[in-house]
Amino acid sequence: MAHETTRGWVGRRALRIEDDKLLKGRGIFADDLHLAGLLHLTFVRSPHAHARIRAIRTERAAAVRGVVAVFTGHDLAARCKPIYVDVIFPSYKAPSRPVVAVDVVKFVGEAVAVVVAESRYVGEDAADLVEVDYEPLRAVVDVEAALDPAAGVVHPDLGDNVLFKGKFATDKFDAAFASGDLVLRERFRSTRVAGVPLEPRGCVAAVEPGRGTLTFWSSTQIPHMLRTAIADLVNVPGLSEAKIRVITPEVGGGFGTKAHVYPEELVTAALALELGRPVKYTQDRREELLTDIHARDHIYDVDVAVGRDGVLKAVRTRILTNAGAFPSLPFGCTLEPTGGARMLPGPYRLRNYAYETYAIATNTGPSGAYRGVAQPTCFMAIEGMMDRIGRALGIDPAEVRLRNLVQPEEMPYVNVVGVRYDTGSYVAALRRALELVDYEGFRTQQASGQPRDGKYRGIGIACFTEVSGTGAPGFRARGLKRIPGFDSALLKVEPTGAVTCVLSTAGAGQGHETTFAQLIADELGVPMDVVTILEGDTTGGPYGSGTFASRSVVTGGGAIVRAGAKLKAKMARIAGHLLEASAPDIVFENGLAFVRGMPGAKVTLREIAENAYSMSSKGLPPDEDYGLEATDYYDPPLVTMANATHIAAVAVDPRKGGIEIERYVVVHDCGRVINPMIVEGQIHGGCAQGIGQAVLEAMVYDADGQCRTASFMDYLLPTIKDVPAMIVDHIESPSIDAAGGFKGVGEGGVIGAVPALTNAVADALAALGANVNSTPLTPDRVLAFIESAAQSRSAGR
Amino acid sequence: MADEIAIRITVNGTVHERKVEPRLLLADFLRHELGLTGTHLGCEHGVCGACTVLVDGASARSCLLFAAQVDGARITTVEGLARGGAPQPIHDAFHEHHALQCGYCTPGFLVAVHELLADNPEPTEAEVRDALSGNLCRCTGYVNILAAVLDAASRLRASGQRPALR
Repeated sequence: MAHETTRGWVGRRALRIEDDKLLKGRGIFADDLHLAGLLHLTFVRSPHAHARIRAIRTERAAAVRGVVAVFTGHDLAARCKPIYVDVIFPSYKAPSRPVVAVDVVKFVGEAVAVVVAESRYVGEDAADLVEVDYEPLRAVVDVEAALDPAAGVVHPDLGDNVLFKGKFATDKFDAAFASGDLVLRERFRSTRVAGVPLEPRGCVAAVEPGRGTLTFWSSTQIPHMLRTAIADLVNVPGLSEAKIRVITPEVGGGFGTKAHVYPEELVTAALALELGRPVKYTQDRREELLTDIHARDHIYDVDVAVGRDGVLKAVRTRILTNAGAFPSLPFGCTLEPTGGARMLPGPYRLRNYAYETYAIATNTGPSGAYRGVAQPTCFMAIEGMMDRIGRALGIDPAEVRLRNLVQPEEMPYVNVVGVRYDTGSYVAALRRALELVDYEGFRTQQASGQPRDGKYRGIGIACFTEVSGTGAPGFRARGLKRIPGFDSALLKVEPTGAVTCVLSTAGAGQGHETTFAQLIADELGVPMDVVTILEGDTTGGPYGSGTFASRSVVTGGGAIVRAGAKLKAKMARIAGHLLEASAPDIVFENGLAFVRGMPGAKVTLREIAENAYSMSSKGLPPDEDYGLEATDYYDPPLVTMANATHIAAVAVDPRKGGIEIERYVVVHDCGRVINPMIVEGQIHGGCAQGIGQAVLEAMVYDADGQCRTASFMDYLLPTIKDVPAMIVDHIESPSIDAAGGFKGVGEGGVIGAVPALTNAVADALAALGANVNSTPLTPDRVLAFIESAAQSRSAGR
Repeated sequence: MADEIAIRITVNGTVHERKVEPRLLLADFLRHELGLTGTHLGCEHGVCGACTVLVDGASARSCLLFAAQVDGARITTVEGLARGGAPQPIHDAFHEHHALQCGYCTPGFLVAVHELLADNPEPTEAEVRDALSGNLCRCTGYVNILAAVLDAASRLRASGQRPALR
């Protein structure tokens, strides 16, 4: 990076500091770590969704040359406490999860034993020799069927499968609902999907002989919470957080998948401590698909009451979310049901709202926090209703939205569930997106008849709010007590004038090293290239939440702004002392301190630092402490609300069911943008995941609970042929509530793409009378929508 | 192991003579025997393309090959594409277009792009999409990868270069 004036690094398309090593193949990911004497773990996994383990015989496996030991669930129960996720809602109940199944397995892929071997090849050989005698039990799979305990109960000690039920209604809701001129009802369903980072999970544990300290490298997004979990759950006398250091090496994508503490991490730590040798666990893709958190197996029943003008009078919804077999640490199983219910009002002026929302246990993979959490589906529901209102009343769907959006003069706005929207651009984003996609032109062409290629064209709008930067109050409001909410920054000027910042966040490819360096350069008035960002290491910096839920620029950025102000004040006091000026008159630019109005009087950051570290004769001002560093924390408000509009135009082939995306426009507002290039990258990638959920991806369980999609041959990720060119535009409505004015951006792409595409396909097929209300819109499902419309037409004839 | 096979493989210009188990995957040989951990494993069943290397100049999935199968071959990995000091139009274009985020899929993409542009110096957008349809990326949404490849092609043409495939 060339030395340039430091004024205004924020807002620039600075190229990434991270890229060089990654382009040369020199990034070190978890599986790239090689330690002398390394042992490898291979887990034996259940082929049954629900079965009693009658017996496990490990002798043949243990006899394989190169096998060090084999442990069953009973063996490990003495070494690791079961995982239990506290959620502070009265209606919440949850099972404890043994790190390896004890006596009963509850989903396909659950571990029943683990082999410790000198190599992964030997471990896999031996794992095949572990003999497990299963007695298959009835599995309950479908979320709606599981509501009835007669269908089977996943955790008999809990009585039924309802792990959580939430309920809310505004005052006099029924009367408000009855005041509508028109009532519309729809059921929306999204199929289970998963985050599927390209790097499967991995971890390495090493114990320092004698001291008993554990260094734990993991591809995690939550190093501090993982360290606490290891300290809490691994049963080794004397083990505490003080003896555990968690480090994240390069992490190959996370998307929320890696923002959970997994049983394999606890087993890896426990066995390294027990065996006194370094231990590695690297997943294969099958394990990744079977055991990493899943999401979005949801049903939304939505009733809306509207006036003749299309304005919402009241909305009621009942949400069922499939929790899978176990809640995941730290998000439990309440994140999806509470998220969907609380976010569904979105950017709309809705004052009468009622919901019931459920998390239901089934014999399927555990659910958790995947990028966007409930928002892609809850916006598919409310945005789907906006289009249905338009169709029912003969009002253009864009106009329906304009009549219902919170208007600029109403900001700040507190929504119906008490979430404050401090700033935003709901109307402006929609108007800009309509213009960029040439909405009027599309509608004119659409009205003139379908083109001769036999394909149906449709356009779909998604206006949405994006919950980002959730603070402690936001997590408590969703019952979660294991997540701190805040993040931290330790910002220091080293004796040579280099600037180091240790953050509690932990990136997985988002470009934090670059983004945060830009911000610090501006906050301190130093060149960007003197700044080094260190994150993902629990030693050397204070506690914090980590990176997930579109939070890092809000919480980490806020912590930098606060710590930066403290540090800069000390820099100014020392510079004032050296220049015989008063601290308030000192300005920093490009690593130099000047006296305002006296361009000749200046000192370098290094001179200031040398005095702070007592390496210079001039010394410090009276009563000033040595050192040049500051630590601060930032806990944002309830949430920090970003917003966007996505519009997709599609062509649907009614013979083959294929969908082509012909135009795609995003107008996004994440407040103050630090690096537009990186923000656009987040949006592109998010949109691709949304396209995946909308048209390709489905984690499929059959009626017996067998997972049918445990490979990339069956679980289809979008390729370069599936993602279209897109127009991305920014509006900046800086937050007035959050420090620095930043809002998050990580999840917006996936949140908007699912409703925009679903609505576009629905619009295209509306001419045929098809009612498109679920994802993924794979060719067979598109043809089924068309067929079912044809059947109801002929039945009505 | 009793049944080890002696192999001689040239990787990034260096000759390696080793004895390997017949079932040792080329990817594991490169990563764990030679320490060339730039070649990544994303699926181990030949779909994601992260482990793509050049075998005698042609791209191949190192998770679907045994090391013993490529006895005598010349292999180029991502480490071999990054030659010290020389201009790297493909790498530069990836950097300048923000065509990578986590970097896990990037080695496979770089190898595939080197092959594409060696074979076809002026690919159309559709040809780039075809050539890279066997490489999965979960971060970038491919938008910037496409832009980077088209730009790299034009830079290479402007400088009269072709990617070397060794």
